[in-house]
Amino acid sequence: MKYAMLVLKNLTRSKRRTILTVLSIAVSLFIFSALISMPAVVNQFLADSASSTRVAVHNKAGVTYGIPEAYKQRVVATPHVVAATAQSWFGGIYHEVSDQFPNMSVDPEMVGETWPDWDISPQALHDFQRVRTGALVGKETMKRFGFHVGQQIMLRGTIYPFNVTLDIVGVLGGKAPPSFVIFRRDYLEEVRGRPGFVDVIWVKVDNSANIPQVSSSLDEGFANSSSETLTEPEAAFYGGFIAGYRVFFQLAELMGIVVVFTIGLVAANTAAMSIRERRTEIAVLRSIGFPAHTILSMLLAESLIIALAGGLLGCGAAYTLLKLVSVQGVVGTIRMPAPVLFAALGAAALIGLLSALVPAAAAARRNIVDVIRAVA
Amino acid sequence: MDAAYAVDLESVWRIYRRDEFEVRALENVTIKIPAGRFVAIVGPSGSGKTTLLNLIAGIDHPISGRVAVGGEEITEMKERELARWRARHIGLVFQFYNLIPVLTARENVELPLLLTPLKKTERQEHVEAALRVVGLADRMDHYPRQLSGGQEQRVAIARAIVTDPTIVVADEPTGDLDATSAEDILTLLRELNRRFSKTVVMVTHDPRAERHVDEIYRLDKGVLIGIEPGKGATEARAATSS
Repeated sequence: MKYAMLVLKNLTRSKRRTILTVLSIAVSLFIFSALISMPAVVNQFLADSASSTRVAVHNKAGVTYGIPEAYKQRVVATPHVVAATAQSWFGGIYHEVSDQFPNMSVDPEMVGETWPDWDISPQALHDFQRVRTGALVGKETMKRFGFHVGQQIMLRGTIYPFNVTLDIVGVLGGKAPPSFVIFRRDYLEEVRGRPGFVDVIWVKVDNSANIPQVSSSLDEGFANSSSETLTEPEAAFYGGFIAGYRVFFQLAELMGIVVVFTIGLVAANTAAMSIRERRTEIAVLRSIGFPAHTILSMLLAESLIIALAGGLLGCGAAYTLLKLVSVQGVVGTIRMPAPVLFAALGAAALIGLLSALVPAAAAARRNIVDVIRAVA
Repeated sequence: MDAAYAVDLESVWRIYRRDEFEVRALENVTIKIPAGRFVAIVGPSGSGKTTLLNLIAGIDHPISGRVAVGGEEITEMKERELARWRARHIGLVFQFYNLIPVLTARENVELPLLLTPLKKTERQEHVEAALRVVGLADRMDHYPRQLSGGQEQRVAIARAIVTDPTIVVADEPTGDLDATSAEDILTLLRELNRRFSKTVVMVTHDPRAERHVDEIYRLDKGVLIGIEPGKGATEARAATSS
């Protein structure tokens, strides 16, 4: 602690250089944490919302091909199946193209049993089953657009050439994706002209241990039909659904890492210059009796403080910006999850330590006489 | 090992290698400096003065021979042990002061005390006492850039004596000063020697030093060629007898 004064004083030695170094690290970690937040949000979504006892049954050729809604009766009759709910994607937008959130229609009868982890209130469930235009809205979408229960909203069709007018009857809570809006499929079917096809049948199984048995039973049962099925756990289903974005996410992660690595090199150069300028002072400290490891620790502490200040500034800016701008992603609003914050601060600490390690270790061990003679 | 000698060098050799050349900085030098003396090491450039001082200060090693300072043999000490030893026994003064520019005079003088177990208040007491001794009690919170060369060297001397070291070693302490400041620094070093019985070993080119020191050790081409009495010893004897 008594060396803290020395470390802090050295940070003020060249205020402009310290500030510029802090800012360069801040900018790189701003970019890093913002880019890394996108895939992290998706991973978080999968971890949070996917249930281990829920499976999705869809066309083996792909979700967009659909399966007959009549399959649901056979699914419900399968052993170990607790509930099944058919779902069809609507994909409407609210007012503007930017006002997007995932919206789909579902059968109202077994919503509570299929998604018990969504904490839908009994009143909301009752109203959803009673009101044909009823809709249940995720908390984030409610907040984002200032919706309230009882409000009527209109979603403009982007896939279908018609709009739907919905009455909000309740809020999706618990582990429900916070941006989702669900409304009744019978209402959508009526507007569509009742084609009798659904995108997915969500199946609640009594025990996760029975999922393989249920999956194979369903897929074998629909084998050789006009719409063969693929049954997969919820996490795998969502994972496959967003697989198309993976390349983009990986690119974002790669770019984030490249930016941090580049700034790491810049920080290393700055640290080397700063330490080189002070080599005489370092030699003097050693001649006074300061051990090499104490000097090394002080130099690393300086670099660490600069990097962490930059990290906090960059992460704070990214967190604030994502919160203010409310960037809408595939599965919800992109926010900075806590692991991204820790990863970014960890990256900052690494930049601080690694950038100064080599020049600091060399300076702390350089021959005192050589340094003093070179200056004299 | 004779503890009566502050510095006891026996058959010391120091040879540097500069690329393909071998530089014999010190050749078979034997020097014994009694405790409480103020001595000057003089000689032309390249005579080995600073090398000798570095060996006494424990910041350089001989290739052969024996170096004992304050009755303690330092020849075989490892770097970490030497650092501890320097902190306890050596006060170093450089030609170019070598103060830390971002620290005030008070903080510069406090530096060696950070290596001791003293508390903050105790450290402050020592710092203020040292700065009073060098006549800079009113400049404690000045930064080096706010001080003259002579004042900076006084701060450097305060830093050297603040831990009450066994020996003060000074490398050309007047080399970067004007005549008046140089005289002041020599007088200050003599006072430290007289008032506090501090052994002071100084490398110098300054002819004024002869009037202040007890002995002059003359080196040439790495060899000790003579020891002469300085006028400081005569003045001290005269002062004692009168």
